Amino acid sequence: MWTEVVAAFENSHPGVKVELTIDKKIEDVISPSMKAGDYPDVVHLATGREAALTETLTKENALLPLTDVLEMTVPGEDVKVKDKIIPGFLDTLATNPYGDGVTYYAPMFYSPCGLFYNAGLFKEKGWDVPTTWEEMWALGDTAAADGIALFTYPTTGYFDAFTYATLASAGGSDFFNSCMTYEDGIWESENATKVFDLVGQLAKYTEGTTVANANNDNFTKNQQLILDNKAIFCPNGTWLPGEMADAPRADGFEWGFMAIPAVNEGGAGCSFCWFEQMWIPAAAQNQDMAKEFVAYMYSDEAAKIFAKSTAIQPIAGVSNYLEGDNKMFYSIYDNGATAVMGGFAATAPVEGVNMLDVLCGTVNSIVSGDKTVADWQAAVEEASDKLRAAME
Amino acid sequence: MNVKKGKARSVFIGVCVAPAVILFIIFMLIPTFNVFKMSLYKWGGYSNNKEFVGLNNFKILIEDMNFFRSFQNTVLLIVCVTIVTMALALIFAAILSREEIKGQNFFRIVFYIPNILSVVVISAIFSAIYDPNNGLLNSIIGIFRGSEKTPILWLGDQKLVIYSLVIAMIWQAIGYYMVMYMASMASVPESLYESANLEGAGRIQQFFSITLPLIWTNVRTTLTFFVISSINLSFLFVKALTSGGPDGATEVFLSYMYKQAYTNSSYGYGMAIGVVVFLFSFGLSALVNFATKREPLEF
Repeated sequence: MWTEVVAAFENSHPGVKVELTIDKKIEDVISPSMKAGDYPDVVHLATGREAALTETLTKENALLPLTDVLEMTVPGEDVKVKDKIIPGFLDTLATNPYGDGVTYYAPMFYSPCGLFYNAGLFKEKGWDVPTTWEEMWALGDTAAADGIALFTYPTTGYFDAFTYATLASAGGSDFFNSCMTYEDGIWESENATKVFDLVGQLAKYTEGTTVANANNDNFTKNQQLILDNKAIFCPNGTWLPGEMADAPRADGFEWGFMAIPAVNEGGAGCSFCWFEQMWIPAAAQNQDMAKEFVAYMYSDEAAKIFAKSTAIQPIAGVSNYLEGDNKMFYSIYDNGATAVMGGFAATAPVEGVNMLDVLCGTVNSIVSGDKTVADWQAAVEEASDKLRAAME
Repeated sequence: MNVKKGKARSVFIGVCVAPAVILFIIFMLIPTFNVFKMSLYKWGGYSNNKEFVGLNNFKILIEDMNFFRSFQNTVLLIVCVTIVTMALALIFAAILSREEIKGQNFFRIVFYIPNILSVVVISAIFSAIYDPNNGLLNSIIGIFRGSEKTPILWLGDQKLVIYSLVIAMIWQAIGYYMVMYMASMASVPESLYESANLEGAGRIQQFFSITLPLIWTNVRTTLTFFVISSINLSFLFVKALTSGGPDGATEVFLSYMYKQAYTNSSYGYGMAIGVVVFLFSFGLSALVNFATKREPLEF
């Protein structure tokens, strides 16, 4: 996919040679030379990875602002880059990490996160897909009689998307952004409490062996629970069907995908939208060509090549290139669910404090009963206080 | 004439050891020095924004409860793994080198195999053994306590999970130490055992009065190995088997250091942890070495 795009870029820009480095763990490949001062011109690397290279550079103010890329016209077309990107994708903390309106990450491939289930099981049992959490708990009790648990999760890492969506559903997008920018007391507010209590309740409906398998070695066993009809819902992203493509499954299995049900009665459900980012290191040598390359990513030519490998960019009209399961995944927002984007605001590093560890990692302790929801909430607020102090 | 010869000799020795000394300086001394230096900075690891903060990283460290938990876990691992592995390795080594049993070579190989497996493979094996529903361990226990009861979550129960790691590490380490002990047991002269036999000493008494004292220097050396390898290997096992979870219950020194230095973008803080680990393992090895000092026996 990338080689094709690079070839197309080189064709349209005579005299330009793009050196491509692709690796599953690209951090390990490029960071040694970066430490030595030799920086790549453009990097496609999402936030939220274990090595956190993108976050590290952000926290160190080592990225180039992309403001003028957005003003550039897409090479070979006469539209500006910012007009081609779907509205909403450029004003989130996942593109403007400092929350100051300046874009540093170009939004690339996106995929909605939600709850996966076996649609076949619902047909077989005659259940309705729940749309509120009340219906959810009722379904949990019904299913428990059949020996099926309501919920499982691959690892606690997936609770970032889950909590983001429930936070936004509980208090709206302003509230969500306040949470992400560590506003004082926000995690102890009424809306946040709703989310903590919700997860606390969900923990009681979680499949018994989930915690034991919620690690990098065994998370597929938790995902397998959905395929074996041992648990109903599992939070995940659109890559799940691909990841489990070769796994054995119950008869009549059919993937179903839905947004997180509304937290407030009558409110909208939410789905967190996860996307990968592309950025230019401030120390890059060929900055002009780097910007040109980033702008080119949004051309129809490039988008078609990406879409062939189901890498979907937030470009208006891109869903026309889709079919099958993918059409269902990307139509999640057509049913009234709100898209939630972004993530925690960048701060200077705070030694020993990791928000995602506190917010998501603790879920294992809630499910196993080692910590109470109140302790968890207090710990999150405490981490939030420390991180707020480090915001610039 | 003699002076000249002596000088040539020194030059020759100097040339011979120079490569090793240079490599040692470049790859050992300088990096170690850098770890100490970096622990005094607030730095993300990549950019040029290094800020000298003195001992601030250490100040944060002594209030960091997560660090203390990883400290506790590491100490627990070192103690449990060392005691059990050493005991079992000594027993197996004594049996395999002193007793005549069928299939001796077969057992030697079987015991050593875990040591040549990569930690990732061992983790996969133990993941399967610890599987809550279909795992070897729960299936065997299920025979005695009834299979309807809720399964034991070897990797999910925060009080159990560290011992699950201990078991995997012992299984991995026994073969290596067994071979080391066997090698030194082989050099104990047979005549000592013959005379002990004539004087009516039993096998167990022979082991404690002859074998153990005579391989004592070797046992002492392995104690230092235990300290170092427990710290190093626990990182690999944690990375592959539990990722430090559930909720940090199996975080050890190096996994916590990695998490802070990379995932949490505080490289300087990670290096401060590195300094503590360095001093701790150095100190512990010295302590162990001092405590086990005996007059070496000649034979």
